[in-house]
Amino acid sequence: MEAAVPSGRLEISCGNKIPKSTPCPRPVPGEASGGCSFDGAQITLIPIADAAHLVHGPMACLGNSWESRGSLSSGPELSAYGFTTDLGEQDIIFGGEQKLHESIHYIVSRFAPPAVFVYTTCVTALTGEDIEGVCKAESERLGTPIIPVNSPGFVGSKNLGTRLAGDVLFQHIIGTTEPEQTTSHDVNLIGEYNIAGEMWYIERLMQQTGMSILSRITGDGRFREIGWAHRAKANMVVCSRALLGLAVQMERKYGIPYFEGSFYGAKETSYSLRQMAYLTGDRDVERRVDKLAAREEMRLSLELEPYRKQLKGKRAVLYTGGVKSWSVITALQELGIKVVGVGTNKSTAEDVSRIAARIGDDAEYIPEGGARQILKTVRSRKADMVIAGGRNMYMALKEQIPFVDINQERHKAYAGYDGLLSLAKQLVHTLQHPVWELTAKLAPWEEETEFAD
Amino acid sequence: MSERLNIVDHNQLFRQEKYVRQREGKRAFEAPCSPEEVTSTLEYTKTKEYKDKNFARTAVVVNPAKACQPLGAVMAALGFEKTLPFIHGSQGCTAYFRSHLARHFKEPVPAVSTSMTEDAAVFGGMRNLIDGMENCIALYQPQMIAVCTTCMAEVIGDDLSAFLANARQEGALPEDMPVPFANTPSFSGSHITGYDAMLRSVLETLYNKSGRTPQPGHELKLNVLLGFDGYTGNFAEMRRILGLFGVPYTILGDHSSNFDSGATGEYSYYYGGTPLEDVPKAADAAGTLAIQQHSLRKTLGYMKRTWGQQVSSVSTPLGIHATDRLLEEISRLSGREIPEALKQERARILDAMMDSHAYLHGKRVAMAGDPDMLIGLIGFCLELGMEPVHIVCSNGDRKFEKEAELLLKSSPYGAEATVHCGQDLWHMRSLLFEDPVDLAIGSSHLKFAAKEAKIPLLRVGFPIFDRHHMHRYPIIGYQGALNLLTQFVNTVLDVMEEQAPDHSFDLVR
Ligand code: SF4
Repeated sequence: MEAAVPSGRLEISCGNKIPKSTPCPRPVPGEASGGCSFDGAQITLIPIADAAHLVHGPMACLGNSWESRGSLSSGPELSAYGFTTDLGEQDIIFGGEQKLHESIHYIVSRFAPPAVFVYTTCVTALTGEDIEGVCKAESERLGTPIIPVNSPGFVGSKNLGTRLAGDVLFQHIIGTTEPEQTTSHDVNLIGEYNIAGEMWYIERLMQQTGMSILSRITGDGRFREIGWAHRAKANMVVCSRALLGLAVQMERKYGIPYFEGSFYGAKETSYSLRQMAYLTGDRDVERRVDKLAAREEMRLSLELEPYRKQLKGKRAVLYTGGVKSWSVITALQELGIKVVGVGTNKSTAEDVSRIAARIGDDAEYIPEGGARQILKTVRSRKADMVIAGGRNMYMALKEQIPFVDINQERHKAYAGYDGLLSLAKQLVHTLQHPVWELTAKLAPWEEETEFAD
Repeated sequence: MSERLNIVDHNQLFRQEKYVRQREGKRAFEAPCSPEEVTSTLEYTKTKEYKDKNFARTAVVVNPAKACQPLGAVMAALGFEKTLPFIHGSQGCTAYFRSHLARHFKEPVPAVSTSMTEDAAVFGGMRNLIDGMENCIALYQPQMIAVCTTCMAEVIGDDLSAFLANARQEGALPEDMPVPFANTPSFSGSHITGYDAMLRSVLETLYNKSGRTPQPGHELKLNVLLGFDGYTGNFAEMRRILGLFGVPYTILGDHSSNFDSGATGEYSYYYGGTPLEDVPKAADAAGTLAIQQHSLRKTLGYMKRTWGQQVSSVSTPLGIHATDRLLEEISRLSGREIPEALKQERARILDAMMDSHAYLHGKRVAMAGDPDMLIGLIGFCLELGMEPVHIVCSNGDRKFEKEAELLLKSSPYGAEATVHCGQDLWHMRSLLFEDPVDLAIGSSHLKFAAKEAKIPLLRVGFPIFDRHHMHRYPIIGYQGALNLLTQFVNTVLDVMEEQAPDHSFDLVR
């Protein structure tokens, strides 16, 4: 089997530059900021469900984070276990490498995973542990791939960690196994984390058109299947700026064309499916995609009708990361919602221009500032709701603002055609909940005093 | 809205046939082990042999039951008025602390970090600290900034007191802004030691700043310390009890309003906490009552030593005996009689315990949690005729172990129990399989092991991520005993009913 795709296909990729090394502003001391690179690397790789993920460091990094991912697995659950070397003072002084050896050994002999990912943390990076060396030695000794993930928290933002995790995938995993069979319609999804099972929606849609997912990178992924990702006919980078670099690298090395797309909103979904079909180069598939898109869009517009009526003209502030900021805008616009404020703190210049293409100057751009800024925008732009991630939820609720969670902790899938319908229902129901009526009115005694004045 | 919100979520959706088929297909292509192999391995992990191997494990921690020091320090900081927790280290930990606390209390959590990066790792984090001070004061207008470290700052050996002095010199930090700080590397201790370290530092800083000399007993007031407490309801209960006594008091470190504020329509960073000016005055109080002892050692030591305060410390007062002791201590320290209302309450709770005792009697339980909480739980279980069997305390030490063992020896119901200090929830899983029990008590993290072992979990402790509002109900005092009893007995009844054959699906229990 030959790895490279005819090079003439390369031009169809939508970009071929690896994003620069600092995609995000440096964290500012003294502000309430987001996660670290370790966090980013961990959430990118943890969806590889059958692997063990061992955090080499003190209790902080794992103790406060295990089992809080929203990525679902359809089978193995090993990645849900929290493994850590839990370094203590003695280990800091005398080194924790021995402990790392033993931990790896224990995990491999007791859990027999196809691979172990070993994460450095601030502490083990600072004390200069030779994690690569330990991993290499243990790989050889145990015959199981032990993969070092060198992304300690202090090197930068969460996004950078995601990117470093992409490098790990590219350097250590992709190209190490071969699939039992391939078809001409195999596509990899990159940067899809199967939050609330979204990937499964997408997979079904693809199956209906005859396309299949060769490697899921990494939502509901398996270690071995990521190894054969280099045999795919196309890569789709789903909503994750930071893993774009991986797609670019794969194009360079294996000649796999890629594109960036999203599954939020009917239009984006149809576009993504079409693009995928186009890249696989099979006219039959393309025709099937066209049919499916037409049928689904038609069905959806009928089913959406009642919700559209109620959502029309509603105003929302959207505060979410990176590529999702523009793709969710499309979805909201399809529902008739006006986006009056949008967070851009985790977006690149390209993302921002995509946002601009969708909403122009009609909305306020919120580059940073977190809760205060969001709330300010809600007030000044008279928004009806906030759509953001869990960390901002409780602040919005304090201000009695309807809130819809769009980030990784939610339990609802919003991808694909059915996902848009779910989103519409969720929005309508959030807005119509009787509690807003309660909060909008004063308590009876407050009304009276006002009257008396 | 006529239609109900009925979005099929993944739990239901992916049980549908088409998805099941899709998954089967996928499995074939994954080339997994055979179902027999999976079952046999799974069975093996439930055996004694596996348990022994599991307990021989030294290097790796699997499914930890503790968090790290700075998390506790953040909680302690939020016990004081207009205080901003400030974490010196790289930024990731801070994000974790905020979401950890937010997920438990369902409240926003203000906390900032110095966001140290590689340069800081090489040259030290002083610049970050100074800039961070300036920024956070401008952004959050705190009255006090409580600084703690993460392991990163500790490893590179940043000297906080020197840095803070420099910050003051540079004018980034106003002269009169109190800045207590604590060294809280996560490679030693756990969230409870971090809590302790920060609380002590707050007391010491504010006290020293006042320039007073202590006059213990000068005021007929009590100081009350609740420690690392995930229940906002416990604060309310404590206030109610002291109110019934008519004792004036100061709660040192009251995070309840910051973690349980109303939706007034306006978000604020700070919702309450112990007023800063109350701290120096606390040195003149008649005595101090702490209802966590293992997690407050440093703080209590300081109060005894420097303030010359008489200190009485008990473990979390769960159940009758422990509450009796609490009331006696309040009475002793304050010189007031135990109020009639509480005596009546005690009788009522006893009545409730008798009503339910038949269902709980003889139930074997496993429990995991923080040391003080576990002492309380063991005591309450013994009173209910429940038998503690496995007790796992990740952050317990010899002292705790001895106390727990002594308590267990005091009752025939404790005869079977073993106490495991420093172990994790993967050890607990082995224990549950090797020697099954009827009920498990612990935080949400215990749910995985409990589910696998098919044991109902009574959620008590911290963190509780997956149930709502439990932290608003007190578990201390007689009233708390009633709350726990209600939760315990009704869980047992739920299980009974689920398993009941038709002929014993009774109306009256
Ligand atoms: S890697 Fe560093 S910043 Fe991230 S959680 Fe661990 S110690 Fe904190």
